[in-house]
Amino acid sequence: MKNITVTIFIILLVAVLGLYLISFQVRETESALVTTFGKPTRQITEPGWYFKWPAPIQQIYKFDSRMRVFEADVGETTTKGAVPIIVNTYVVWRIAEPLAFFNAVGTVKEAQSKLLSQISDTQNNVIGRHSFGEFVNSDPAKIRFEQIQDEMLSDLKQAIKGNYGIEIKTLGIRQLKVSEDVSKDVFERMRAERNRKTEATIAQGNAEATRIKADADSKKTELLAVAEARAKAIRGQGDAEAAQFYKLLEEDPDLAMFLRDVEALKKILQERSTVVLSADTEPFKLLKEMPALTPKK
Amino acid sequence: MTDETYKNNPNEQEQAQQPESDSGNQPLDAAGRSLSEALRISFIILKVIMIVLVVVFLASGFRTVASDEQALVLRFGKIRGVGEGRLLNPGLHWVFPYPIDEIVKIPVAKKVNLAINSFWYYQSQQEILQQEGPKKRTRINPKLNPIRDGYCITRSEKQDRVLAGFTGSDYNIVHCKWQLTYQIDDPERFFRNVYTENVKPGESYTDIIVKSVTPLLEKLIEGAVVTAMVNYTIDEAISSQARIPKHVEKLLQEKLDKIESGIMVVSVQLTDITWPRQVDKAFWASIRASQESQKQITEARTYAENILNEAAGPVAAELLAALRDETVSEQKKELLWLQLAGAAQEKIAQARAYRTKVVEDAKANAEYLKKILPEYRKRPQLVVQKIYQDAIEYILNNVDEKMIIQPTKGTKGTEIRVLLNRDPTIKKSEVRSKK
Repeated sequence: MKNITVTIFIILLVAVLGLYLISFQVRETESALVTTFGKPTRQITEPGWYFKWPAPIQQIYKFDSRMRVFEADVGETTTKGAVPIIVNTYVVWRIAEPLAFFNAVGTVKEAQSKLLSQISDTQNNVIGRHSFGEFVNSDPAKIRFEQIQDEMLSDLKQAIKGNYGIEIKTLGIRQLKVSEDVSKDVFERMRAERNRKTEATIAQGNAEATRIKADADSKKTELLAVAEARAKAIRGQGDAEAAQFYKLLEEDPDLAMFLRDVEALKKILQERSTVVLSADTEPFKLLKEMPALTPKK
Repeated sequence: MTDETYKNNPNEQEQAQQPESDSGNQPLDAAGRSLSEALRISFIILKVIMIVLVVVFLASGFRTVASDEQALVLRFGKIRGVGEGRLLNPGLHWVFPYPIDEIVKIPVAKKVNLAINSFWYYQSQQEILQQEGPKKRTRINPKLNPIRDGYCITRSEKQDRVLAGFTGSDYNIVHCKWQLTYQIDDPERFFRNVYTENVKPGESYTDIIVKSVTPLLEKLIEGAVVTAMVNYTIDEAISSQARIPKHVEKLLQEKLDKIESGIMVVSVQLTDITWPRQVDKAFWASIRASQESQKQITEARTYAENILNEAAGPVAAELLAALRDETVSEQKKELLWLQLAGAAQEKIAQARAYRTKVVEDAKANAEYLKKILPEYRKRPQLVVQKIYQDAIEYILNNVDEKMIIQPTKGTKGTEIRVLLNRDPTIKKSEVRSKK
C-alpha cells in the first residue's frame, strides 16, 4: 500500500519534471522559434502545447506577437511642386514570422531602427508624388489625405514584405505641420483673410440693416396710401349721402342760401373777433332814432 | 517549486524505510521499535501534508471575476472554449491550476478617458500658472515651432472665383484639445492583439492596460484628428460643430476595427479650440464686427417694427400681405381693416367723422328748411328779419369787441384807428376803415 502510493508519486514527479524538459507552451500573445543546436528549425505561430528535445539540443525563443506602435521622427519633406511640409508618421506593427524576424533583426529595438529608415523612405516617396493641394484644399472634394496615407501603407507593406518577419497593421500621419518661417506667412494670410471677412461682415450688416429699414419705410408709405385711399372713399361716401338731403333744399333755394350764409357767419365770428358796424345796421338804427311805428290795421 | 521540495522528501523517506521492512520478521529491540514508531508517525504526517497540498493545489483554481470584468482562460497557452463560452462572466470560476490553465481578466466595463493635448501651443510652466491668475500679456513668438507647438491644419474657405495661379491650397492653423473615452468591447481580440506590459508586483492589470494602450490610442486619435481637420474650415472648427468630433470618432473606430484591437470608442470630444494667439487681434475684430452688424440688423428690425406699428398697428404686416395677395377674400381683408391701428386708423377715423358730420349737417339743414318753409311762405319778410336779427344777436354776443360807428354825411370818408390790445393772445393790429 505504502509502496504503491510512493511509486505513483515518484512516477508523477518524474513525469512532471520530464514534461518541463521536453515540452513548452506558446501563449495566445506569442509566437516561438525552436532552434536545434543553435540553428532555427521550427517556427510556431499558433498557441498551444508543444514538444521539443531537452535543453542542450533544442532551445526555444519566444516573441511577443501583439501589435506595437512605433513613431518615426518628425521630418521635413517636400510635396510635388516643392512645398515643404513636416509630417510625423506612426506605424502599428507586429512580429508575424518569428523565423524571418529572428534572422533579420532579432530584437524589437533593431526592428524599429530598420522600420525608421523604411518609413522615412516611404514617406518621402509618397508625399513627393502628391501636390500640397491634395493634403489641404479649399475645395474639400480635392483633398486626398486619406488616400495618401493608404498609399503610404501599401508602399511600406510592399517594402517590408518578407524582409523582416514584420507585419504592418496600419499607419497614419499624426502631425501635419509647416516650418517655422512658413507659419509666419500663414499667420499673415490668416490675418488678411480675417480682415477681409471683417469688412465683408460689416458691409453685409449695413446692407441688411438698410434694406430692412427701407423695406419698412416703403411698407409704411404703402399702408398709409392705402389707408388714405380708403379714407377718401369714406369721405366721398359721406358727401354722396349728404347730397341726398340737398334735394330737399330745392324747394326754396334762396331761403336755403340765406340760411347757409347765416350759419356760416355765426361760425366765422365765433371767437376773438372784433366787429365794426355802421349805426345804420339793424338793430343799431335804434341808437340813432326811434322807429316810426304805426299799428297796422 | 514548492511542490518539488515536498516531493523530494518522500524519496529520502523511502530509502530510510527499506531496511526497516526487511528486518520486520526479526525480534525488535526497544530502540528499533521506537524508531519504527517514529517513522510511521512521520509518514502519516507526510501523507496529511500531501493531501493538504493537493487540496490547496486544486483550490487555487478558484478565481473570481469582478463585476466590471470578463475573463479568458488559456489552456496550455491557447484560449479555451468556443464562441460565447470563451468568455467567463463575473462570478466565481474554477480552472485547472497553473501550469495547465491561466485566467486573464480584462476590465471590459471600465470607461477610460484620455486627454489629447498635443495640438495645443507650447506653454511654459509659468504661462500655465498665469492662466489661472490674472491675465498678463506675454510676448508671443510670431512663429510656431513645429516640434514644440502643436496645431492642426484646416482648409481655407472655398473661393467663389478662381484667381489666376490660385491652387486652392491655402490653409489655416488652429489649436485644439480633445478627449477620448474608450472601452474594451472585445476582450479576446484585445488580449490577443494589443501589446500590454507585464504586470509587476504591486500593479493592477487594469492600470497596466491603460498605461500600455495609451501610446497606441494617442497616435491613432491624433492621426484621425489630422485627417479629419483638413476637411473643415477654421470657422467650422471654431464654431465647435458636433460633426467634427463625430468625423474623428468614425475615423478612429474604423482604424481600431481594422487592426482588430477590440477597443470601442465611447466618445470623442473637442474640449477646447482656438485660433493661434498670433492672429488673436484680427479674429476678435472679426467677432466684434459680426456682433456689431448683428446689432445693426436687430436695431433695423426694431425700427421696422416700430414704424409699421405706428403706421398701422400690429396687424400692419398681415394687412399688407393680404392686400398684395389676390387670393385673400374680401371678408378677410375687411376683418383686417377693422383691426387697424396707428396713423392709418386715424386717417380712416377722421374720414368717418367727416362723413357723419357732413351727412348730419345736411340732414339738419334740410329739416330746418322744411320746418320754417310754411311760415316763410306766409310771412316772408318777418321770418327773414327774425332769422337775420337772431343771427346778429348771437354773433354780437360772442364777439369780443363791438364798435358802432355813426356814418357822417360829409364829402370825405372817415378814418378810424382802433388799437386792440386787451386780449394778450391777439396781436396789436390796426383796423382801418374808409367810408
